Amino acid sequence: MKKILALLSIMVCVAVFHSCIDNIDVSPSDQISTGSLSETEDGIVNVTNGNYALFKDGLTFQGFQDDNNCYLRQYFQMSDFAADDIVCGQKTEDPLYYSFTYTHSPDQSNSRFFWYSSYKIINGANTAIEIIEGQTNQTDEIKQMLGENYFIRAFSMFNLVRFYSQPYAISNPTTDLGIILRMSTSEPGEKARATIQQTYDAIIADLTKAEGLMNKPRGKEYASKEAAQALLARVYLNMEDNDKTIEYSTSVIESNRFSLETASTFPSFFANAISHDETIWLVAFTTVDSRGKFGSIASMLYSDGNSGWGEEFASIPYREKLSANLADVRWAYIDTLYKDGVTVDKKNGIEVFYITKFSFQDGDPNLSSPVLFRLAEMYLNRAEAYAKQGNEPSALADVNEIRKNRGLENDLITSVPAGKTLLDVVLDEKRLELAFEGHRYFDVFRNKRDMDRSYWGYHIENLTVGDINLGTKPPATIANLIIEWDDASKIYFIPIDEINANKLCVQN
Amino acid sequence: MKKTITFLIIQLFVVYSYGQVTGVVFDEQKVKVPGVNVLILGTANGTVTDMDGKFEIDAKVGDTLVFSFIGYEVQKVGITSNNQTLTIQLIPFSFDIGELVVLGYSSKTKLEISSAVSVLSEDKLNDTPSDDIGGLLQGKVSGVQVVTSSGAPGGGSEIRIRGVSTIKPGNNEPLYVVDGIIGGTFDPNDVESLTVLKDAGATGMYGARASKGVIVITTKSAKSGNTVYEFKSSYGYNIADHGNVDMMNGQEFYDLSSEQYRDEDTHEIDKIKFYADYPKSLQSFDNNWLDEAFKPAAIQKYYLSASGSSKKLSYYTSGTYYNEEGTYRKTGFQKLNLRTNTTYKFNDRVTMKNNISLNASKGTTYDYMDMYYTYLGVPWDKPFNADGSSRYIDGTNAKKLSDGTGWWSRDPINPFHTIDNSDHIYKGAGADYDLSLDIRIFDWLSFSSSNRIGFSTTKGHNYVSPEAAGTYKNKGYIAESQDIWSGGLSTNLLRFNRVFGDHSIDGLVGFEFQRGYFETLGVSGTGLPVGFDVPSVASSEIKISGSNNEDGLNSFISQATYNYKGTYFLTGSYRIDISSNFPPENNVAKFPSISGSVILSKMAFMDDVNLIDLLKLRTSYGVTGDPEIGSSRYMGLFNLNTQYNGKPAATPYQLQNLDLTWEKTNQMNIGIDLELLKRVTLNLDIYSNVTKDLIILRAMPPSTGFENQYQNSTGHLDNKGIEITLSTVNIQKGDFKFTTDFTFAKNTNMLNDFEEPIISTVGGVTQIYQNGGELYTFYLPKWLGVDAQTGAPVWEKITKDANGNVTLREPTSNYSEAAPQEVGSALPSFTGGISATFEYKNFTLYANAAYQYGNKVYNATRIFMDSDGHEPYYNNMNPKDDWSRWERPGDVATHPSMQNNSLSKETSSRFLEDGSFFKIRTVSLEYRLPKKWANSIKLSEISLVLTGNNLFTSTEFWGQDPEVTLNSGSWSMPGVCDFKYPNNKQYIFSLNVKF
Repeated sequence: MKKILALLSIMVCVAVFHSCIDNIDVSPSDQISTGSLSETEDGIVNVTNGNYALFKDGLTFQGFQDDNNCYLRQYFQMSDFAADDIVCGQKTEDPLYYSFTYTHSPDQSNSRFFWYSSYKIINGANTAIEIIEGQTNQTDEIKQMLGENYFIRAFSMFNLVRFYSQPYAISNPTTDLGIILRMSTSEPGEKARATIQQTYDAIIADLTKAEGLMNKPRGKEYASKEAAQALLARVYLNMEDNDKTIEYSTSVIESNRFSLETASTFPSFFANAISHDETIWLVAFTTVDSRGKFGSIASMLYSDGNSGWGEEFASIPYREKLSANLADVRWAYIDTLYKDGVTVDKKNGIEVFYITKFSFQDGDPNLSSPVLFRLAEMYLNRAEAYAKQGNEPSALADVNEIRKNRGLENDLITSVPAGKTLLDVVLDEKRLELAFEGHRYFDVFRNKRDMDRSYWGYHIENLTVGDINLGTKPPATIANLIIEWDDASKIYFIPIDEINANKLCVQN
Repeated sequence: MKKTITFLIIQLFVVYSYGQVTGVVFDEQKVKVPGVNVLILGTANGTVTDMDGKFEIDAKVGDTLVFSFIGYEVQKVGITSNNQTLTIQLIPFSFDIGELVVLGYSSKTKLEISSAVSVLSEDKLNDTPSDDIGGLLQGKVSGVQVVTSSGAPGGGSEIRIRGVSTIKPGNNEPLYVVDGIIGGTFDPNDVESLTVLKDAGATGMYGARASKGVIVITTKSAKSGNTVYEFKSSYGYNIADHGNVDMMNGQEFYDLSSEQYRDEDTHEIDKIKFYADYPKSLQSFDNNWLDEAFKPAAIQKYYLSASGSSKKLSYYTSGTYYNEEGTYRKTGFQKLNLRTNTTYKFNDRVTMKNNISLNASKGTTYDYMDMYYTYLGVPWDKPFNADGSSRYIDGTNAKKLSDGTGWWSRDPINPFHTIDNSDHIYKGAGADYDLSLDIRIFDWLSFSSSNRIGFSTTKGHNYVSPEAAGTYKNKGYIAESQDIWSGGLSTNLLRFNRVFGDHSIDGLVGFEFQRGYFETLGVSGTGLPVGFDVPSVASSEIKISGSNNEDGLNSFISQATYNYKGTYFLTGSYRIDISSNFPPENNVAKFPSISGSVILSKMAFMDDVNLIDLLKLRTSYGVTGDPEIGSSRYMGLFNLNTQYNGKPAATPYQLQNLDLTWEKTNQMNIGIDLELLKRVTLNLDIYSNVTKDLIILRAMPPSTGFENQYQNSTGHLDNKGIEITLSTVNIQKGDFKFTTDFTFAKNTNMLNDFEEPIISTVGGVTQIYQNGGELYTFYLPKWLGVDAQTGAPVWEKITKDANGNVTLREPTSNYSEAAPQEVGSALPSFTGGISATFEYKNFTLYANAAYQYGNKVYNATRIFMDSDGHEPYYNNMNPKDDWSRWERPGDVATHPSMQNNSLSKETSSRFLEDGSFFKIRTVSLEYRLPKKWANSIKLSEISLVLTGNNLFTSTEFWGQDPEVTLNSGSWSMPGVCDFKYPNNKQYIFSLNVKF
């Protein structure tokens, strides 16, 4: 009996032991180890796609995924809400409010997220670049992919330097601080900021490589040779290198891959930009990327009553510009909310003029594929460079090329109106054309112009409904109505997370 | 390795002879006692006396039999001859000091234990009908802090034993061991005893997972041969307790709103402007949102069990049904628990135990935003139509009208309409099956194999009707998710027990293996036809997700206890764990522990001291660990859970760290147990726990593309403390008895030797963990109040010299100049509880209170409810008595002028409040019907109980409840109070019957 028991015990023990002492290493089911990305052919493709996805995705940040947080949403809000085309219709504790009020701080979460996600994209691009450059036989398809990653890195760096450094044209680029350059995945965590010049040099170097590598275009959802040229034109415009701006704008215009929308196609352009010819590069959002009321770019700008918050509207000065000619088809993207069919409805005392450039892809009020480069900008960048060179005929020709296609063929500008400069004419047209697309905030300051927001809106702190008298301008005694171009506070603080963890990084 | 074990077992194969010991047990009145536990000391072998008080057990010469029964002193009798017959007379004892304490892998009498453990018997645990073990523990065990941070039906509590010994986010709950096996499920009614293991002397056996303490649960088994039925039923009400939150009524909010119109020059309210914006008629509208949203809700619990035993078989089987309706609109929870425990003796040597536990639950929960809007709804708005249905509000019909049909609340959302047109349902089911085999190979050596397979699944269902206002209007939304967890554990031990004269030694050695598999699947979509709420009908934006996860732990376990003359005890244990959560090079950890004790009162020099019944000194030292960081945290990873343009996409997710290894806590404990005059029991423990190699999510510069990396810190986290438990029989005279139990625990927490401070921010609130500081220390600009001349908010500006020393502190009204500083921790400096029991004849009056002192709570709800006009269309709460708003120069006020309030609601110490509280947890009155009445209707016991829970809280905290979460994770920061499901006041009537 005892022997049987002992034997039984041994058998149980050994059997359990045998079955369990096997390897206990485990791997995640929906993640791939960084090291094995290079082991498969689609590794590079997936990482490159991932880098595009990071422009649109809500990422976990500070431990959770806030619907507000998406690279492009912050990109548009941090730029356009700090400009004069959009008026704030409601006080809010959303950090987007600080762009309206210019009460920036190092710990405002929208800026912190933008910084973090920008560098995550750069890390992804660096990963792809390092894998591809480690390979010997590069096909044209692989080179295209490499070029796209250089483009993505340059685009991310360029947006960072514009938000977190003084504009190139009004700075001392060789001494003023730019951004932290991250050119490989193996750098130490702590690193100092480069100068503005070094930052621009790195951006141009990436784009020059990208331009040469991309010869197998994959569609408007992906970067292309012309996208790199378009970004080069934008970069040189910021540097006030007029010749290069003209050169690269012209390259894109003459590539014959794109054409301007006409007065009849423009109103349907933004909802269908993927299939339209004016688009150079957009970030593709598909129906599953519709981010609804809490996370879409559109939700602050438009609501059908339920779809969004609809708290920020087209500003009085913008509408005044647009009202110069009611035939202007750019009115198509202003949707007036009427109280009773006649009077414009108000929210908290501010008239409701919704903005619809980010709505109605597939009919969804919260869905669009934001256009980041389109042909009209190339004409206008070139016009600005011509204007700065004093070349009035060429500048006006480019401006009129736009106007012809926006229902203003009978209202072309043949000479500079009295009281205006040629640059005023170009910038006015650019404002009309590219409003709400993330240009105005940069265009004003880099041209040494003040941001004048002398109109009623909740960018005025402590405003109550009763203070608003739409018949008059707000009294000039109110603080911060005008942000002067040399006001250092117009740019964003380096986020607190970087300052805390990177001792070499100097705050603005 | 395998060969060695086989060899070892064969080596131990020596023949010993057994004999059958029989006997009978009487009580002090010579009445035979059924149900007395009889156990061979140092083994798991035992039996219970039958209805005639008789027992039979296989024991050999030299064995010691331990007799224990509730209310009686434990007796030990040595076996001197084979086939001995014993007659035992139990000696009544007012303290159950000698009762067997279940420590998980082994059981020992209290006298034998050298470590810090606390035991709660069934009746002390279940002082109120509840589904939540944490709530039942609050205030009862020293050193155990319980936080019930939500009153949601079916919601649980958070338990912290001896403070917090880790920094990493995630699970900080103690390890549960049910019926000797790690993990498992149970209903509080099924608990026979609960043991809290607090120091490494006791928890060292659980090594890898013991740093946060261990709670050992033993479920019930048959007490006697005859079948005994027990039925308990409870019925009562929950009433929402909003604490100090008293939202403004229509008139109060109207008056507050006028403050926005105080003229900056005259300092009078500009009534013309104010009446133009806020028509006078608004004052007459008054909807109490909280009264409409929260209604008294029924709570019921029913329990039925049967137990009994025969010579070969003993069983316990029970069922519990719990149903709690929520006080908040459309919330509730119900749960069913079934358990069957059977023990079958094949023969004198082989015993098998089968325990099966099944549970199923269903809950209806709420959306955070609905709770948020319920508190913040403006009282001039009507949420209901004339017919009582909830009003439809959206951006097209929400107008600021003066006739009572307007909508003044900030957002065009009626939370009641949203609630009525949405569902948030979750369901769960689980099963555990335990199979244990005990084989006595020789009289001194036995083998036991304890095995459990477990399974649990939860399903979530979130639905928004196309008829609900908001983003899903005309589309609807459905999201369902299902999680499945399955796992198994096997513990295989050889136990031995030898006695040599005055010396005895017992112990165990073996292996344990654990595996867990987790799978999750989710689906969501929009475009639903009205009236349908399943994923199949979704027509658009269809998304799926799904992944799985696996973990494993292999362990070697050993323990030995030496005992000299029942006076000196020495226990050592050694455990080795191998976890899949660490890189293969670093996945092995060793956990030794040693403890010793001496019973001074048994020594000769104490013989003459009659005052002292027991005086015992204990000490222990050991190492425990905590591997709970989740799988694969050391790997460099790219996420594959997104897409671009419909194609797979990989995004950078995690930085690699192949050096990552175990976090370990070195624990030391010294304790004294003292019993005087059979009326006073005092337990005192002093401990020091030092956690090293702390796993931290170290902040990386975000310019690397990563927020953080899992690393082992150079720093250590030190918890030092003292715990006192004092139980006294204050009065015992005739039929009257008055007893109290008092617990007190002071814990200090300090961080040392960190390479750099760890800064953690959730929802805009920041904490700093740095040298010399406490864990969960808030790091905020310091609020100094309001400038008496301007009415502007004032913070403290600090100037530091090159060495970082503060050279100047001055007030500033510029928020950006006010650098953050350490302003207090969310951890309390002491916690405890008091219980008092008055017994008179058949009546028992019982009260239990819990207290906590010295913790800070950040009241994030005040950003909205006390907003200085920053959010003019959110309702505010009525201010505390000593709050005042600045109106004109010279006012000494706590709240700034609404005209000069720039950034006043930004994160600062303004909203950081004292979270100390004293709470009457439970008051109950029990009446036991006289036995003859019960017997006359063929019942053996009947009792009626009235219970009131959470009746009174004394606190300075001006919010819902000072009990706020201590969980550190994605959505929550320890010590931050956000809008939550309010706690409840409960009134319950119970009827308990035995037959």
